[in-house]
Amino acid sequence: MKHTLTIALKNQSVAVERFLRVARHRGFDLTTMNLEMADEAFHVTMTVDSDKPIYLLTSQLNKLVDVKHVNVENQFQQQAI
Amino acid sequence: MTGAELTIDLLAKHGVKDVFGYPGGAIMPIYDALYGAPVKHYLTRHEQGAGFAAVGFARSTGKLGVCFATSGPGATNLITALADAMMDSVPLLAITGQVPTAAIGSDAFQEVDVLGMSLSCTKHSYMVERAEDLAEILQEAIHIAQSGRPGPVLVDIPKDIQMAQVPFHPWLAAEDHLPTLDSNQVAIANQILSEAQRPVAYIGGGVQAANAQDELMQFLEKTHMPAVSTLKALGSVLPDYEYDLGMLGMHGGKAANLAVQECDVLVCIGARFDDRVTGNLSKFAAKAKVIHLDIDAAEVGKRKPAKASLVADLKTSLPQLDCFVTPDEWLTHIESMMKEHAWRYDYPGEKVFAPYLLNQLSQKMPSTGVVCCDVGQHQMWVAQHMKFSHPSNHLSSGGAGTMGFGLPAAIGAQVARPRDFVITVSGDGSIMMNIQELATIRRNNLPVKILILDNQRLGMVRQWQQLFFEGRYSETNLSDNPDFVQLAAVFGIPGQTITKADEVDAAVDALVNSEGPYILHACIDDKENVWPLVPPGAANDEMMTETVK
Repeated sequence: MKHTLTIALKNQSVAVERFLRVARHRGFDLTTMNLEMADEAFHVTMTVDSDKPIYLLTSQLNKLVDVKHVNVENQFQQQAI
Repeated sequence: MTGAELTIDLLAKHGVKDVFGYPGGAIMPIYDALYGAPVKHYLTRHEQGAGFAAVGFARSTGKLGVCFATSGPGATNLITALADAMMDSVPLLAITGQVPTAAIGSDAFQEVDVLGMSLSCTKHSYMVERAEDLAEILQEAIHIAQSGRPGPVLVDIPKDIQMAQVPFHPWLAAEDHLPTLDSNQVAIANQILSEAQRPVAYIGGGVQAANAQDELMQFLEKTHMPAVSTLKALGSVLPDYEYDLGMLGMHGGKAANLAVQECDVLVCIGARFDDRVTGNLSKFAAKAKVIHLDIDAAEVGKRKPAKASLVADLKTSLPQLDCFVTPDEWLTHIESMMKEHAWRYDYPGEKVFAPYLLNQLSQKMPSTGVVCCDVGQHQMWVAQHMKFSHPSNHLSSGGAGTMGFGLPAAIGAQVARPRDFVITVSGDGSIMMNIQELATIRRNNLPVKILILDNQRLGMVRQWQQLFFEGRYSETNLSDNPDFVQLAAVFGIPGQTITKADEVDAAVDALVNSEGPYILHACIDDKENVWPLVPPGAANDEMMTETVK
């Protein structure tokens, strides 16, 4: 199942490493990512793919000190193989 | 004021009186600032020892533990202790020296990207890039380590920033955005409880983290709910509680595991359905509706779905569960199981029987004493056969399962609680992993007791090789161990060796009554196993209990 997330991060270079590490470790494959800096924060839009429910990732991301907020924008239907 | 002086000053201002560490090139300014400062430094003989001593300090008090290390290998040696503290939610502050700012990224001498290494084993971490940020970062780090669900925080400070003149601005902690209790979820939880016929309370390490033993006991006393505990929770339920079933899980008691498997409501209080607790997750408490209380929303539904989730500080959420009384029929059944599956100590052999020894130790040592375990068979025997009156009296590496934890953790506990009896219970494998800390005990004249249960094997691995690897004993024979009593004697620590069952009582008396540090080296049967055992992939009611030798 693919999900698109938008994440606002504190403007610290390590913040990006930190949330990407969590996504990988918790079993969510990154498929696309865009990062922009505005209003002294990093704004990330990314799509992840996993068999796991998305809340298992968002609940972990929400705990990170560098993460200001996380939103699940939309969710793709799993494509038939 | 230099950055180094500010670091020590801030620690003192936050009530830190004791720190553990090891100096080196990139942290020399901080060690210079320590000279004559009101913060006492305990020199360990390895940075991992400093990390675990700080963990022992924190876990035995509930206060912040602090450790120092230099850059490069000094910092990497701390990593295992950080991972241990992360898994067990321990409030820890690690301060590491870093090469000067201008040298970062140049592969300088003793340069390692410590911030990068810390990402997976800390709650949060920093590298200080500007001298003017130091004060705020340190104060924020101290706050984060102890707020919400506690955890380790690392602050990496380049040497030039330690030496620079830095401003000090008091940092006012931002208001904690701790979760507030959802009244709808409370209502659902109370509705589930009101219909429960066979409830069980499943207690975790969160009770100690929230300092909620009183609230827990009030809940148990008013409901009479049978209670099972994780390894980290042991001591949360007071030993005289009538329906205390002890530890559940892979090496849990049979009554504890059967009660959970049969229950219709499972009230999870600050626990996280760890795989060593649940066995086969799909078969764990399969008939139960789960009510999950935790301050960390990420734990709810992570491993097992909950019908009601009370995400808040346990001190707030536990009193919200209404008065409800466990049905007598269930309690009668629980009592019957407790009687049927009670531990037995009538061991027929002439050798030292570790469960009996530990049970004797538990009865003879002060109830306020602290037991620090290493990892392996002895650790499980301690959990099964010793009683604790508070979780801060039982320090065992739970989530990480780190061999070498026990001796330095006992040093930290003894520093934190100098008037209390502190003992490390170890195995002949684990003790060698941080044996150098005997020098720290001697240097500081700490009256730490040491019990080594010596089966000349890596016992838990040997047990699994016997049971699940066709008796192929690969690299688990330690029959070439050193003489542990002689080894301790080199560090000026007295002790004795025992080999027979009839020596146990007097030896435990000698250990408990010794004035200073003391080592009891108990040789046990190399074929003794830990029972019961839930084998890999099995449900918790499929325990192996026969004594296979």
